[in-house]
Amino acid sequence: MTALLRAELLKLRTTRTFAAVVASAAALSLTLVVLGAALGKETKAHALFTNSAITYIIVILGAIAMTGEWRHRTITGSVLAAPNRVRLLAAKAISYSVAGIALSIIVTVPTIIVGELVLSGRGLATLGAGGIADVLWRNLAVAALLGPLGVCVGALVRNQIVTVVGLVIMAAAIEPAVFQAVPEVGRLLPLAGAPGGVLGGTHGDLSPAPALAVMVAWTLTIFAAAAWRLRSRDLV
Amino acid sequence: MKKFPPLGKPKRPGRAAVEIRDLSKRFGAVAAVNHLSFEIEPGRVTGFLGPNGAGKSTTLRALLGLVQPSSGSATFGGLRYDELDEPSARVGAVLEDASFHPGRSARNHLRVLAITGNHPPHRVEEVLSAVGLSDAADRRVKGYSMGMRQRLAIAAALLGDPQVLILDEPSNGLDPPGIIWLRGLMREQAADGRAVLISSHVLAEVAQSVDDVGVIADGELRAQGPLEQVLGGSDGPATTVRAQDPVRLTGALERRGHRVDRDGDVLNVFGATPEEVGEIAGHERLAVLGLAPRTRSLEEAFIALTGVQS
Ligand SMILES: Nc1ncnc2c1ncn2[C@@H]1O[C@H](COP(=O)(O)OP(=O)(O)OP(=O)(O)O)[C@@H](O)[C@H]1O
Ligand SMILES: [Mg+2]
Repeated sequence: MTALLRAELLKLRTTRTFAAVVASAAALSLTLVVLGAALGKETKAHALFTNSAITYIIVILGAIAMTGEWRHRTITGSVLAAPNRVRLLAAKAISYSVAGIALSIIVTVPTIIVGELVLSGRGLATLGAGGIADVLWRNLAVAALLGPLGVCVGALVRNQIVTVVGLVIMAAAIEPAVFQAVPEVGRLLPLAGAPGGVLGGTHGDLSPAPALAVMVAWTLTIFAAAAWRLRSRDLV
Repeated sequence: MKKFPPLGKPKRPGRAAVEIRDLSKRFGAVAAVNHLSFEIEPGRVTGFLGPNGAGKSTTLRALLGLVQPSSGSATFGGLRYDELDEPSARVGAVLEDASFHPGRSARNHLRVLAITGNHPPHRVEEVLSAVGLSDAADRRVKGYSMGMRQRLAIAAALLGDPQVLILDEPSNGLDPPGIIWLRGLMREQAADGRAVLISSHVLAEVAQSVDDVGVIADGELRAQGPLEQVLGGSDGPATTVRAQDPVRLTGALERRGHRVDRDGDVLNVFGATPEEVGEIAGHERLAVLGLAPRTRSLEEAFIALTGVQS
């Protein structure tokens, strides 16, 4: 299992997509935070730094990686090298958990540093050490769970475009709409609802601990479904 | 290269390297493989032959645990592929249309496989040079030719120095030097005591390098055994003879119960060896201008066995 995980992480480190996405995500969110802190009316530091946009990127990256195994038809080679398919899926899921954490650190830490400097320059309230730790764990936890979720949804659906478009529609349209209509249900949904609760969002969200539990449950459930399906699937 | 355990020796001597027992695989209404049984032995190159759609790839995929058999089993010394401790050290496989992530290089691809299979990093360099890809190893696979991809697939199969090598139409895209190299590789592997299984829909392509063959058509095994035996067919000896007086020789042969096909002054005689034909001609005082055993051509044998016209 450790060998498999090391292999997956090597793949991740050496594909250009991942590096490119991390770099652009970092640049983009840095820009947004600087603009927000310098010009915006939003002066609540916490809201400024819990950047849920990043978390969607990791779910998409995980989905792209797993569906890529079918798109590039490398799944047969991967299964030949690691015939225990459940372990293979687990290794990929864990590697995208690690990737989510890495991405989140790379994006969040510079954002917080620069944002705090700008805020204090304007004479506005900054986050203390405790506040920073709070922002960090929320971002990391969400990214660590959404990466594997993307991998597992990808393993279930397999078609890259359908998976990516589906995830985006779900996160950006369906879940917010459900939340509007029936908040009690909407806040339990996997991509925007429960992560919103962990990040500490709006009125009506779950509080962080139950929201995190809901996210863990989603990830485990979808992992189980994907593993069960992958085990019996003919790879031709 | 010999830092590996002596993989050449089968773990349980006398046990076939690959055992396929009553294997069937259906895809919906299509019976791709139908109650197929055969074995391959260590130290031999076995050709797995059959026309397009015969079920070769399906059989190999079932053997490698990629598709689930509908019934029957396909094992390596009794163990399914997914039950092997170190699959890549036991079995190396090159599948049809080998695919790689286009954005990664050959070296990177092999490094990932080496980590997964616990093979030392120097094996990557060894197999790269064995397949002649050392110079291109850091280029992205996207820019590789078909033959280069095929070489990379072979390198990946060799990485764990496996006891069993399974090659599904491996000469696809290889140039003539590549094909000759591949033949040499298969012979070397067999000489080392390993088992090699190579599938093809062209008998002539593998006839020079295989010891045994299994012939499959419509998902069923049609013939199995050493190449010469399978090529010889089951219709007994046959002789080609050129006679000065073909009409009289034909009459003499047919009186003795042999079937004769006449083509000008050349006669194909079925059921008789050259010695017998010569004796009959001598007895009748007929001059014989040429006399040879008749062997089926590779294509004739293939068509006769599979019932498929090319
Ligand atoms: N995934 C699948 N779904 C449906 N039918 C399939 C599938 N894979 C193979 N078949 C069918 O099974 C039969 C055997 O196919 P297979 O690919 O094993 O043949 P083959 O001997 O490898 O042929 P070729 O020489 O063309 O590679 C064919 O009739 C094929 O159409
Ligand atoms: Mg085939």
